[in-house]
Amino acid sequence: MKIIILFIIIFQFFHVNADEIYNLIKIPNLEIYKLKNENNIRYLNAKGDFKIGVDDNIACNKTNRENLNSKFPIIERNIKRYNSKFLKKIDLKYVVFCEGLFVSKINTGGIPDNKNRTLILDINFNEKYFERMIHHEIFHMIQNSYEDHFNDLKFALFNNSDFEYAECSTCSDRLNLDLYENTNGFLTEYSKSIPSEDMAEIFSFLMVNKNLIEEKIKNDSILNKKVNFIKSKISKIDENIL
Amino acid sequence: MIKTIKASKSEKILFIFLIILAVSAFTSFFLLKNKCLFIDKNDLKKLNFENPDNIAVMNLECGNVIIELYPETSPKAVERFKTLIEKKKYDGSAFYKVVENTLVQAGDIEFGNIEYLDYSKIGSGKSGLGLLKSELSDDFEFTEGSIGFARSKEFDTEDSEFFITLKEIPIYQGEYTPIGKVKFGLDILKKIKTGNKAIYVLRPDYIKTFRMLEIN
Repeated sequence: MKIIILFIIIFQFFHVNADEIYNLIKIPNLEIYKLKNENNIRYLNAKGDFKIGVDDNIACNKTNRENLNSKFPIIERNIKRYNSKFLKKIDLKYVVFCEGLFVSKINTGGIPDNKNRTLILDINFNEKYFERMIHHEIFHMIQNSYEDHFNDLKFALFNNSDFEYAECSTCSDRLNLDLYENTNGFLTEYSKSIPSEDMAEIFSFLMVNKNLIEEKIKNDSILNKKVNFIKSKISKIDENIL
Repeated sequence: MIKTIKASKSEKILFIFLIILAVSAFTSFFLLKNKCLFIDKNDLKKLNFENPDNIAVMNLECGNVIIELYPETSPKAVERFKTLIEKKKYDGSAFYKVVENTLVQAGDIEFGNIEYLDYSKIGSGKSGLGLLKSELSDDFEFTEGSIGFARSKEFDTEDSEFFITLKEIPIYQGEYTPIGKVKFGLDILKKIKTGNKAIYVLRPDYIKTFRMLEIN
């Protein structure tokens, strides 16, 4: 009887999933968008809607091909800035495109997943911040791979002693991504949410508008320390990124 | 005097119909049932190889699958593969995981031999030779008939299990350690029993013998 039950379990639940992409990165309904790239990154496209994660808390919809084709050059141009060695170090191999990305019903631009070497990107994310969002999410992958380099507690010490970050990135209403005129230690409102978002914001600005940040830090000693911290830690991983 | 009775037209039609029925019944039971029919068995005496040291011959129900190993691409993996072949460890190894027209997988020495299949542990068996480091190649393309070492979700967990692709799977490039490519006998691999809708196969087909090519 036990054997019969075992057989039923094995042959009922382990249905064939001929989807080789799913077997590798555990996201269903994907197709290859562009496989051969100089830095060995692989671009995948959602040909159908998908839900993944604990209780399917991550959801995203299939892309419109024309929409993707129009946005791909922007994405490719930005991701090309990372060489294959660096991408390997931060466990990034697959970039997945979809539209309308939600985590626990909260809209988000991207989801980094070091375990599956994947970055999911919402190609419909606000165009104003789109390029910066890519680097922001990549920073999270960097931090996940180099936790010792980017210690949250150590980083938080750069702030004035009376400042407190929120409990989590979505626990506060500090969500605005616009650059502050007067920085006072923070580039954006979102920088004030948690240390890792603060670091990711700095990194993303350094990637898309380094000169502007260099100007800002001249009159902001806290931000100056933070920016130099990020620069020095990144250079330990790869000297050519920043 | 015996009178010859001429068959009527309808009797003639019935007779022809019965003959056709008999022929089709014979065909279905004895010919079509034979899955190896019309498959080239790849007689080794008729084949010549440029690089015989790296040719392995996997004998299956329908004939020989001739494989060329690529030690230049993955030296450690090919060395392990050859060791297991020479020790006859793959003899009786079941193709327990078969995805129709996509890939076949065998090589679980501990739990995947046809003599002692253990479905509760299959896929987790060890060769006893230890795990291998992944030897990934960004140049090796997993075209139809490519052989790669299987691994767990983690890299550097290759041991003895291997898979053969039945179609091009570009996403595997740089993901799995390549071992070689099928030179002859892809048709034979395509005849391997599938699990219908299940990923694991009940009463699976298996490797009769697996040997390196004997050079005389």
